[in-house]
Amino acid sequence: MSDPYLPGSLINSQLIASLAARTALETPGVLRLEPTLEGFLARLGPAALRSLRHPGSQDGSYRHDGVTATINDGTARVDLDIATDIAYTALTVAEAVQQRIHENISHTGLTPGRIHIHILSIEPRPE
Amino acid sequence: MDDHGPGPEPDEGDEGSIVARAQDGDLAAFEHLVIAYQDRIFRLAYRMLNDRLDAEDVVQETLTSSWRSLPLLADVNAFGAWLYRLATNKCLDLLRRRSTHAETSTDPDELLGIGEHGFPQAPAGTDPADQAQWSAQQEGLAAVLNTLPPAQRACWLLREIHGRSYTEISDTLKISPTTVRGMLARARHHIAEGMGQWR
Amino acid sequence: MALEDVPRLGCGRSIDEVWAGIDQPPTGHEEHCQYCQTARTRLQRLQEATVALRESDLHDPELKPRPGLTRAIMDVARAEVRRGNRLLVRTTDHGTIEISEQALDSLIRIAATAIPGIHSRRCRIDIRTLPNSPHETTSTARAPRLVINFRVAAAAGIDIPKTVDALRQKIRTAIPAGIGIDAGTINITVEDLYDV
Repeated sequence: MSDPYLPGSLINSQLIASLAARTALETPGVLRLEPTLEGFLARLGPAALRSLRHPGSQDGSYRHDGVTATINDGTARVDLDIATDIAYTALTVAEAVQQRIHENISHTGLTPGRIHIHILSIEPRPE
Repeated sequence: MDDHGPGPEPDEGDEGSIVARAQDGDLAAFEHLVIAYQDRIFRLAYRMLNDRLDAEDVVQETLTSSWRSLPLLADVNAFGAWLYRLATNKCLDLLRRRSTHAETSTDPDELLGIGEHGFPQAPAGTDPADQAQWSAQQEGLAAVLNTLPPAQRACWLLREIHGRSYTEISDTLKISPTTVRGMLARARHHIAEGMGQWR
Repeated sequence: MALEDVPRLGCGRSIDEVWAGIDQPPTGHEEHCQYCQTARTRLQRLQEATVALRESDLHDPELKPRPGLTRAIMDVARAEVRRGNRLLVRTTDHGTIEISEQALDSLIRIAATAIPGIHSRRCRIDIRTLPNSPHETTSTARAPRLVINFRVAAAAGIDIPKTVDALRQKIRTAIPAGIGIDAGTINITVEDLYDV
């Protein structure tokens, strides 16, 4: 509000969330982001979803299937739920995802904060 | 010898292992159990409640609550018995709630006439004469069944239609196996008499 | 619910006794007793009707729940499983990496399918992390240690010790390969036998 050139006001949490999601999906060994309870509610209808999702809400966080991004004082924090390919070593995949998201956040001008990766499933890649 | 597929696919012959996997949260294993039991539970609930929607609710509640309390099931080989118990008791609860809310008649003779909906159809291709006798018998049985007190009806359905054991039924209804036998005898007597009147 | 509640015929015999002999020819008493004859006729009709009802209910396409019910049940199950236990397996400079117990379980089960004569049952995993000093922030210092308690059913007639060894070996290589940590302690219990 006070300074329009601060990166924090140009880059919102939704953008960071989609950046993190895209980065994860481009990392070899990631099968998908894991739908959470919210993904399940999405199928129940828009009303149930609206009551849960608040894009750009007051706490500066944005949630989508499998990814939550929060921006606080110019620092972006990311929580990511992923499923990995059993042909890869899950921890190596998760560390690569962390590293790449860290780099990509710093390219936005924001400070990369903690990046939490949750491996919810390890399974064979569908044919 | 052992033909294992590529994934952890449940094996038909060993339900205990499928149940154990489901206990650990394996969704594919649980889905296998849902598919194996949902029709049976529905048939039981439908004959108990005479209402499709209520019966579907019982199926859904039984299976979702089984998912939640599955980790607590001590004996993986008792899954079927446990599901039948959950479902039977949900039906009995529902009937109890119905009877306190509604002014339904409990006089068997009056009830005899009101069971006209939901009778099964004779299988296609049945000889018309046979079919007439067949459906008369079916209607008689289904209608008389509705006149039995709920616990007696549950007892009869579990034993005669679903082939559950006396021990299991006695656990389900929380009565002794001797009482189960007595209840079953009264149910048979009542139904046989009722069918006689129906003719 | 006393025993005398059991319905009795005019001749004093119980319905149960008549029912028990329904598949056999009438006894001497039954041939001459009016009560028993009536009861037999009725019970025979009941038996036929019971079999017919059982069969028709079983095959009646109308007596099935709506097609979407399986999906509805599975949606609830799926939504709830995601909130299961998560194990912290690594803390890096950038954040934490957690793995769901479910993911570890399925990896172990997939490994077990490679061993003939074994069906997976329950699997409990504990993760023990050595208490770290406040200065440590990197992964190297705190390798988590898994304790796997795996229950299985074995095919009747197999060499159990040999098979269990093979299974343990399989898990010991599958976990570092699939996850990137040591398998730690693997306790295997054969709790049941199944027929092949």
